[in-house]
Amino acid sequence: MSQKKLAFVFPPFASDYPDEPFTNLSGFEDCFRKFLSRAAEFADPDLNQFSIPSRTFLDDELKTQYISYIQACALVSWFRQKGVIPAYSSGYSMGIYAALFQSEVISFLDGLVLIRQAYKEIKKITGKQEYGMCSIIGLNQDDIDHLILKQKTTLKLAIQNSVCSFSFSGIAREIQKLAESAQEEGALSTRVLNVSVPYHSFYLKDISEGFSEFVNQMSFRSPKMPIVSLIDQEILLEEHALKNEVVRNLFTSLNWYGTQLYLQELGVNRFVECGSGKGIVKNARFIEGDAVFYTANSFMASFELK
Amino acid sequence: MALITENTRKEVTEIVYNFFADECEVELKDIHGDTNIINDIDGDSLMFLELIEIFKKKYNLDIELKTIGKYSVKHPVQTIGQLIDMQLLIIEHENKLLELDN
Repeated sequence: MSQKKLAFVFPPFASDYPDEPFTNLSGFEDCFRKFLSRAAEFADPDLNQFSIPSRTFLDDELKTQYISYIQACALVSWFRQKGVIPAYSSGYSMGIYAALFQSEVISFLDGLVLIRQAYKEIKKITGKQEYGMCSIIGLNQDDIDHLILKQKTTLKLAIQNSVCSFSFSGIAREIQKLAESAQEEGALSTRVLNVSVPYHSFYLKDISEGFSEFVNQMSFRSPKMPIVSLIDQEILLEEHALKNEVVRNLFTSLNWYGTQLYLQELGVNRFVECGSGKGIVKNARFIEGDAVFYTANSFMASFELK
Repeated sequence: MALITENTRKEVTEIVYNFFADECEVELKDIHGDTNIINDIDGDSLMFLELIEIFKKKYNLDIELKTIGKYSVKHPVQTIGQLIDMQLLIIEHENKLLELDN
């Protein structure tokens, strides 16, 4: 199977777990349990209690981040065993840590350390004010700009997913108001997300210095496969650039829309969402080009590599 | 303002059923007029958006997404049947959809 034009995309942490997300991945559960067990021993023994049917930890942002990361790393390992290696990888939001693992820049345990430290730094900010995020679907950039102007808000765009899909971060009451205004303006869907952190916004800039110091003490290896930045669509090859990306990822707006288009320019025609959900696959319907987006499950079903 | 014929209804119904069967990975026979899009077949608003784009191209419609969004606030869609009815109204009235409420 040619994998020259394959990209792995690592999703952010889950807001829910779909039932039986990996049915086509024979032996994946054992692989996942091995990673989970190592993470539980290293980071938090509670992780051993994780189960998809009981929707464990969905009210705990840190543990949910751990679980998403563990699932992603287990998928990387499982795919490697099957000989499936992507040409590029990209980490959407907190998926950056799994992208680093995929490209062998960091070890599995170092990813857990980074997640824990980032969360620790973030909590310094979120205790002082109530923050949140919302998604708006069905309005274009002009409509969004108009709304922001009208509301006279300090909210900033956190993520652009397509020409009509955006996420915002900021103070919780302003987020709620923006979601309501967007609905009135004609958005087909608005949703206040189940997070208490204003990810990818300048509200987190104050903690970047501390996090940067921490990241710079860690050892990053040269990537075995290129990672494409969601911030500025650069191909990240140098240690300094990779560390900078990890830090900026917290407080800088992400452009997933532009990143997908850029990956297609690089020749990528197949994307695999390496997580239990299918948010990235669903969003891909609104991206120009002929690339095909798969969940890990549907990818394996398509290529019958069970 | 387009005239909605029995053929249009049949065509729209067929497109909607096939679309959801494909997107939600369910059997065509399991989709009915009263199928709840979110609860029964795990559909979402992005699918609604994609369907609108399909019909915009197919019928060369002049309609803004936010017009549909504003209409949807007063007339929320939950089932496949309601969605087909709304698509027919969009085809029939295009950007004058909101005038139906006046």
